[in-house]
Amino acid sequence: MPSGIALVIWILGMSAGVCFVALSVLRAWFLKYFFLNLYVILSMSADLLRLYVLKYYGLESPQYEYAYYYTDCLLTVALFVAVISLASRVFGELNLTRYVRFVAVLLLLGTVGFSYAVVAQSTERLATRFALELSQNLYFVGLVLTYLLWGAVLKLKETRTRLVQMVLSLGLYFSAYAGCYALVNLAPKYEVVQYLAPILGCFLPISWSLTIMRHSEDSRLIPARLVAVPR
Amino acid sequence: MSRKLGAMALALGILVGAMGLKTLVTTRSNSAVVMANGVSPVPPIKNLPPAN
Repeated sequence: MPSGIALVIWILGMSAGVCFVALSVLRAWFLKYFFLNLYVILSMSADLLRLYVLKYYGLESPQYEYAYYYTDCLLTVALFVAVISLASRVFGELNLTRYVRFVAVLLLLGTVGFSYAVVAQSTERLATRFALELSQNLYFVGLVLTYLLWGAVLKLKETRTRLVQMVLSLGLYFSAYAGCYALVNLAPKYEVVQYLAPILGCFLPISWSLTIMRHSEDSRLIPARLVAVPR
Repeated sequence: MSRKLGAMALALGILVGAMGLKTLVTTRSNSAVVMANGVSPVPPIKNLPPAN
């Protein structure tokens, strides 16, 4: 079983996920933002599976590692689809949804091809290394895509509060993970670093739940104000 | 046609930017993997096969 702190983080994350999905269903929001809900549901399912494997095999077992990183790859693809669904909403009014999907397919194929090219020379357990590489590469693609989406939100003067806050949450989430990745590479010996990734895992369901609770579908804001510096 | 070409150029630009950013972040990489979703504890990666 995980340690006390890890268990508290796990319970917090699962509660936030359940809260988000329940709020979505109660406020008839589930189908409207289906891919965000799908990501949270898949994330909770993956965490349940990981806990089951962790309980029977232990944290340092190869079974837990394989279960963890294969489900992570699946979740990263789901998160990528969630980002694309938000992009489709932002560009929907310009009738560019078709092109957004075209770019998404190209990006996914390009990332898969690049990841395969990187691991092609590896002779053993190609599938595992491929899953890891694809997960990491898709993460950075998602990061760049989210920043471009935020630029588009500002440029197009998007005013739907919920949509703006969803995109902002994703931007913060991706940025924090990239920072966490750099931190682990720079300071791997500090124990606190190992709790950063699970803590960040709680961020998206919590921020999305707060967005649903605090703002209605009709809420509007001016995103330009978020970047303007008052003088 | 030009829109499709633009979309292809955009996808290529995003891919190049993302891989460049990844290279930048992992300059001092020790092969650690924490690009992870979910709230479960991150396992050590000693059992996973090396990149090359």
